[in-house]
Amino acid sequence: MSVIAPELTDLQAVVEEVWSTFVGYEHPLCVRQVPAGTPLDSGVWSGAVSVTGEWQGAVTVELADDVAVAISRVMLDVDPSESLNDDDVADAVGELVNMIGGNVKSLMPGPSALSLPAVAAGRAVFPSDAHEVARLDLLWTNQPVRITVHTPGSPR
Amino acid sequence: MRALIIDDSRAMRSILRRIVNGLGFESAEAGDGQQALDVLESGFNPDICLIDWNMPVMDGYTFITKVRDNPEWRSMTLMMVTTESEQKQIVRALAAGAHEYVIKPFTPDAIADKLELLGLRATEVPA
Repeated sequence: MSVIAPELTDLQAVVEEVWSTFVGYEHPLCVRQVPAGTPLDSGVWSGAVSVTGEWQGAVTVELADDVAVAISRVMLDVDPSESLNDDDVADAVGELVNMIGGNVKSLMPGPSALSLPAVAAGRAVFPSDAHEVARLDLLWTNQPVRITVHTPGSPR
Repeated sequence: MRALIIDDSRAMRSILRRIVNGLGFESAEAGDGQQALDVLESGFNPDICLIDWNMPVMDGYTFITKVRDNPEWRSMTLMMVTTESEQKQIVRALAAGAHEYVIKPFTPDAIADKLELLGLRATEVPA
């Protein structure tokens, strides 16, 4: 069975556009090579959206804690002297995965529908039949960021 | 000029608020379509609504149809600001009564340009 997945270059372009627009250009997002199956090497926040319709899949974003907090401060315009709570971080991570997932959806065959985002303080969970079809490992301020696309069915 | 920002994400509302306030708009916010209807019913009379599509309780498309069904609000300017980018959905929103459509991610200039195209320019930009 062939699995339709976004090209990594397209996925990277989507992530860079969203990131540069809403997080900024001050610190670059750098691609890094990580062997498949390697868990993210720090405490993480994760967000996921699913796509249903002509193309089915899920897009997840996993961010080191420090990255999640930093992007939340930028997106919510919260000064470093002010504290953030988990709801603030969940909101920002949810919007980030919503924008990345929505733009991945636009790369795939339609029509399809995007779910509301689900966010967790910890690693994302996946259905048992979900297979990774694209993964982008990045570093931002020397902290890991991972974008993954999963589809149901056989592995690629 | 007044803007009503309708998005379930506080982060996105914050981003849009900074943009429209920077353009001299007074703004109010709602977390879903139903809350937005409540804001309108409370008497806030916006020149434009910036509307996300996917929201809990009441989505942006339903909000547009409710606004267009109400004679008092029928002339209100509506702009979708959403990740929903399928042509069919864009046509559907415009047919339901949206005047403009912006796909996330967007730049502040993109929002400003759309507002200008709609003839919405604040009379005075705060310092």
